[in-house]
Amino acid sequence: MANIKEFGSKVWSIICLVSKFIYESILIPIWNFIKKIFKNPKSAVGMSILIVFILIGIFGPLIFPYSAETDVANKYLWPSLEHPFGTDWLGRDVFRQIIAGTGNMLQISFYTAIISVLIGTILGILAGYVGGVVDKIIMSITNIFLSIPSFPVYLLLAAVIVINGSLSFALIISLFSWAGLCRAIRIQVVSLKERDFIQICHVMHMSRTHIIFNELMPNLFSYIAINFVISMRNAIVASVGIMFVGLAAYDPTNWGAIMQAARDKGLVNVQNVIILLYPLINIVIFQASTLLLSNGLDETLNPRLKVM
Amino acid sequence: MENAVENKNNKFIRYLKLIRQHIAQFFVKYRYFFIKIGISVITLALTVILLFFLLRLIPGDIVQEYALKLQGNRGIPYEQAYELAKDLLNYDPNENIFEQFGRYIGGLFRGELGVSYIETGVSANTLIATRLPWTLFISSVALFLSFFIGTAVGCYAANNRGKLVDKISSGYIAISGSIPDYLMALLLVIIFAFQLRLFPNAGNYNAFETTPGFNLPFIGSVLYHAFLPILAYTLVQTGTWILQMRGSAIGVLGEDYILSARARGLSEHTIHKKYVKKNAMLPMITMLGVSFGALFGGATLLESVFNYPGIGLEISNRIISKDYMVVQGLIFFSSAMVICVNLLVELIYPLIDPRVRRAA
Amino acid sequence: MVINMNKENIVEFRDVSIAYPLKKFTLQAVTNASLPLKKGMITALVGESGSGKTTLASSLIQCISEPGKVVGGDIVFNDNGNEIFINKLKDKELRKFRWEKVSMVFQAAQSALNPVMKVKDHFIETMNQHGMKKVTMEEKEAKIKKLLNFVKLDVDRVMDSYPHELSGGMKQRVMIAFALLLDPEVIILDEPTTALDVITQYFIFTLLKKINKEMGISMLLMTHDISVVAKFADYVAVMYGGRIMEYGDVHYIFKNRYHPYTRGLIGATPSILGSTKDIEAIEGNPPNLLDLPKGCIFNPRCKYCQKICQEQEPESLSIDNMSKGKCHFYKEI
Repeated sequence: MANIKEFGSKVWSIICLVSKFIYESILIPIWNFIKKIFKNPKSAVGMSILIVFILIGIFGPLIFPYSAETDVANKYLWPSLEHPFGTDWLGRDVFRQIIAGTGNMLQISFYTAIISVLIGTILGILAGYVGGVVDKIIMSITNIFLSIPSFPVYLLLAAVIVINGSLSFALIISLFSWAGLCRAIRIQVVSLKERDFIQICHVMHMSRTHIIFNELMPNLFSYIAINFVISMRNAIVASVGIMFVGLAAYDPTNWGAIMQAARDKGLVNVQNVIILLYPLINIVIFQASTLLLSNGLDETLNPRLKVM
Repeated sequence: MENAVENKNNKFIRYLKLIRQHIAQFFVKYRYFFIKIGISVITLALTVILLFFLLRLIPGDIVQEYALKLQGNRGIPYEQAYELAKDLLNYDPNENIFEQFGRYIGGLFRGELGVSYIETGVSANTLIATRLPWTLFISSVALFLSFFIGTAVGCYAANNRGKLVDKISSGYIAISGSIPDYLMALLLVIIFAFQLRLFPNAGNYNAFETTPGFNLPFIGSVLYHAFLPILAYTLVQTGTWILQMRGSAIGVLGEDYILSARARGLSEHTIHKKYVKKNAMLPMITMLGVSFGALFGGATLLESVFNYPGIGLEISNRIISKDYMVVQGLIFFSSAMVICVNLLVELIYPLIDPRVRRAA
Repeated sequence: MVINMNKENIVEFRDVSIAYPLKKFTLQAVTNASLPLKKGMITALVGESGSGKTTLASSLIQCISEPGKVVGGDIVFNDNGNEIFINKLKDKELRKFRWEKVSMVFQAAQSALNPVMKVKDHFIETMNQHGMKKVTMEEKEAKIKKLLNFVKLDVDRVMDSYPHELSGGMKQRVMIAFALLLDPEVIILDEPTTALDVITQYFIFTLLKKINKEMGISMLLMTHDISVVAKFADYVAVMYGGRIMEYGDVHYIFKNRYHPYTRGLIGATPSILGSTKDIEAIEGNPPNLLDLPKGCIFNPRCKYCQKICQEQEPESLSIDNMSKGKCHFYKEI
């Protein structure tokens, strides 16, 4: 009985601790972070556009469902109320194609950012904090990935491995994109380690987990957040590029795939050019919004830059 | 007599010691260089290993395919064709992985980067010889053009912070940063090649009307074909250079030596040229070196948008046609060039920056 | 308004106000400051960090850090009887004026030299830009050698070194030699010994005193080290919150301690002989320049604060009458 009671109280205390941790270390910082994003005009605009994209990605297909049925009689229609962006060479609605592709693009960029930030941060902190042999090994691996030209290898992998979803796509892209982040994080950690407040922690014999999670992480947070956004940008550039070559065509509504298909139909035809421009403009807007977001974050989170 | 021999011996030992000392001193003196070279060699070796394993991912038995092809082409028995295929591809699927690796390394040391099993007589080496000059031509012209424009504008914008020039250049940075280079290329191709028909949409020179060589029509044709690719590359790259140089120059402007130079009554012209630009350029030169190294891989997408026959287009075409041996060779070549150029930059850098020179 | 300059003064700050217009507000770093620099003397400017010492002094060569501007008053230089209004000089005249008449030894001597230039080239460049292009290289080098010798540096080594190869004390001495290059009449010393060890500090100050005595160069010394002031300076001005509180002969000021702030400043300085119990810090914090207290700006920290102090700001010192401190009850408490 007593055992069960003890066990119960232990479980309860663990639940309490975990929920406290979640509340204090995750929810509050995220809330503060969101508040910070909307304080800076640049990041507020960037974030708003990004949220619009996310909403379109989630709810767009429900409101404007897309069917891949061809309707050759209505091919190359000019924009109208029924078809806001017109129809393509097989009579499919371009507007609905683009909405259907939004979710896919966002998934690829988010997955890539999450995977590469996770790998890059863990390896970067490990290399920078532990130092010595571990540092040398991790850095030489990072160096290889930085010196092999990434895009040809993406193409090679896309040709060899069957890409059938956004996750596998993201995995291929993050195979290389973590390396730059890892090096940047390592440099940050190495410079932080020399700072007084970390040195004091060492002198006071604080545990490594405490130093990493309570002292290092909050200082790296801004860096990681900015790099998350930058990874998203790079993922879009790389994934659209891969599809542009004609590989990884698992989803014909993906923006890159739409552009590639329109390009294949011939760019002398103005109709094809117009179809191609819709995803292109969307990509540029997405890139611009993430650029604004990352620049704005940089301004708010690294205040020393503000003076400049 | 014995004494003389001993003396001679002693002398000899002394010389040996001296030589050893000199060698040791030599290594200590140029430690920086040796460490850098060592790191590069290790990176290269690891790259080779990684690329080797990447090739093993390829499904199917390429030797068998190639042998069947040779058999058909040359009319030789299958066994003989298989042996020949093994030799040509420098790859034997029946060996264990270490023997395969040894073979592969041997090939690399002989300078054989990879043979095509789709086209006879074509290998990564021949492709590099024929395609690399074109890639280097457009991309290095674009790189240096954008570097000079970008650093000049960036420095100027930093000196005139908050003024109109600065605002315009910031706007340019934002726009060029939002358009990936191949999409910029696509826009240019659509507008100037397909719609207005001012420029060609493919190729590197007009093979029907000009003959390669040092003559005016040929050079004109080359420039005419290279114009759009170079423009696309420059438009996008310039933004990055402006951004980097502006940041670097603003950092330098905040330094005390700028204030003290002003207090000494030096003219603004001298301060900008000798103080701001010179110091702000130092990190830019490293970046230029790194970017130059990356050129050897070709701009795959840019070249494929313009159908410009460089290394990049070759890589993407051969990946689609599954000519993996060549692709591997080309990727190895470009990685090796990246590593070599980075090494060169690191070795040259001390000559430019006195702080690193003495520290080294 | 033309005030004839006192012959004894080499520089007069007349009611100088300096402001930093920032995006949302304007920061008034110096307010109605008047201060004479006596010819051939060392005048010290003391005050806490952020009291506007450096800003006031750098207005003398118009090198106020961006975006600061002189918004009121005049800074006048006495060039053998001719008055030069420094804040009204044109760019070209100003360039000639800087370093030829007034030079400066910077607080951060460590980073005041261009890292990609040799020490020698700094000297030659400065000479060239001040109309000495035609002088032969040998003469220039001879002059540099003479100066470096004067500050007791290993001439041959230092001349061909890059700045990062010199130690802090060496760089500071190079900067002092540098300040003497064009035979100026005034040298501004902005905390010249902050980052140096005590022995080097002593050496540098002896050197400066020697320059002052032998060459007759006037100096404006900024420091928060009261003991240095007592030992080396002839005159002292006390600054607080961008205002000059008191000015006078060092012995007179330190002996009488008429102004409550000066009293606090001296009281907070430890002495070797006294016990630490005698040290008395001034309560409170330096004033926030964006939110100054009403009345006398020192009133929240003043022990002798009266009702009038909270309502009315005492009159500022003027160049004609420097002997009255900026306090309602000067010489009364």
